[in-house]
Amino acid sequence: MSKPTKEFNLGNLLQAFPRRGLFLLLFLAATLPLFTTVTLPNKPWDDSIDFYKNLVALQPGDKVLIGSDWTLGTRAESGGEFEALIRILIRRQVKFALYSTGDVQAPLVARDAIATIAKDEAANGQKLYKPFEDYVICGFFPNSEGETLAINNNVRGAFSGRKDYPENGPPQDVLQSPVFQGIRKISDFKYLVLVTPSNTERITFQRVKDTKLMFMVTGVMFVEDHNYYASGQLKGLIGGVKGVFDLETIMSKGYESIPPLPGKNEPGRGTKYYPALHACLGLLLLAVIAGNVGMWLSRKGVKS
Amino acid sequence: MNYLTIKLACGAIATIGLYTMLYRENKVYRVFEHMFLGLASGYSVVAIWTDVLKSSWWDKMVGSATSTGEPATMGFWPYALLLPIGLMGYFVFSKKHNWVSRIPIGILIGLYSGQQFQAWLDQYGGQIVGTFKPVVPNNWTFFAPYVDPQNLQQVSDVKHTVYISTALSNLIFVFTVLSVVSYFIFSFEPKPGSRISRFWTGMASSGRWLLMIGFGALFGTTVMMRFALLIDRMYYVWVEFLYKAILHH
Repeated sequence: MSKPTKEFNLGNLLQAFPRRGLFLLLFLAATLPLFTTVTLPNKPWDDSIDFYKNLVALQPGDKVLIGSDWTLGTRAESGGEFEALIRILIRRQVKFALYSTGDVQAPLVARDAIATIAKDEAANGQKLYKPFEDYVICGFFPNSEGETLAINNNVRGAFSGRKDYPENGPPQDVLQSPVFQGIRKISDFKYLVLVTPSNTERITFQRVKDTKLMFMVTGVMFVEDHNYYASGQLKGLIGGVKGVFDLETIMSKGYESIPPLPGKNEPGRGTKYYPALHACLGLLLLAVIAGNVGMWLSRKGVKS
Repeated sequence: MNYLTIKLACGAIATIGLYTMLYRENKVYRVFEHMFLGLASGYSVVAIWTDVLKSSWWDKMVGSATSTGEPATMGFWPYALLLPIGLMGYFVFSKKHNWVSRIPIGILIGLYSGQQFQAWLDQYGGQIVGTFKPVVPNNWTFFAPYVDPQNLQQVSDVKHTVYISTALSNLIFVFTVLSVVSYFIFSFEPKPGSRISRFWTGMASSGRWLLMIGFGALFGTTVMMRFALLIDRMYYVWVEFLYKAILHH
């Protein structure tokens, strides 16, 4: 018995666009804009503006605690956020301690990223940030709930026993680092900045209340976390590629009365990825419209 | 070929290998998938010892000595009791003695539950307070005037004034909160056909619609994030590896 052949019309064609062809178009949309130098116009969100303003208001010698839970899987968003954060801290000469409760690989990823950015900033005339002296990495802690609470209640106790590597030296207790000089409680850190693509953001809300919080999250998490910014629980929030692009825009061009960040500001991940993101979203919209039109035409029985 | 290029090449090959899944299920994809899982597991095992157990448990338990041989810190041997408690967890695999595993699990659940009371308030307390917004304007200008951001007094004045547009925005916010909350109240059913019932149904229906809009926004950001991941991989393969490392641009 022969199979009934499907009538060929525009409606069926639009609905039966080959999946692999669509993937190919998506790959092109994600790749080609990366080779252009197009910079899209941008109006930064209030969340991003506050984040930036709070960071540049820090004075040289101030201390910031960073929770870094991102790994290379979310480099697109968290990597760009982290890079912008570290550049601002280096140029403001703010010392920082870093820990992770989200992913065992996160401290290593952060260590590599900081070393690369520090070299880059030094090549552009900034101070060379040295491990242990200007920043210290306290490592990974597996129980996020317990450790975050411990950090809030007794920051020195929480990090005691952890070792980090000074430049060309044997490992030393992180509490011996100049970063921890004068740190007795968590409120001695001006901010806790959490860079995370995971639920550690919720755990941190729940358990850290003795210092000001600022978060750098993925685009998915931004919608929910914006509520915490709106209620004043967060002092600043960066979300996804748009958040990175906001930061980079303010850093390079300034915004309204905010001056650009002194130093060399080259386009970062946000600026590079934003046109490609728009191309991909455009393709998605086209595909959705085509599929719906195709379904409508098929139902109407209109032949091409 | 230097170390950096080899490293980038490995990453690029692995990326392409994993994306071959989009064509169809194949062995190349499986090889790289297993390689990834193996590397992640291996790294985690080592890091858990070096980063966690050694510094937080072993070193504190046995104490440490300085280079002169004098003890720098005394050992805290009660930490040794943590080992059998932890090992009890593995009795979950024994049919006969799996009750033993409930002891460490019970300890953990107890500790977690104790924290949750305070945690809930810390997370949602601020948001509940944040929902109390003024819905009656105290200034009958529609929009807030533009102020010089440098003039902090003006900025503060505008921030604390409820313009008509601010009041409308707050009203929409409060209505959204109330209607969404009313959608989740199942323990109370007004008399069918009554005014209260019609009002209640309307509020719950609005709540459902507003939730759908919220979920739509969430879905949109999810798609955006997935695209960002793809773009980053493409940047890695084409720009970082091919364009910069191989073609030396």
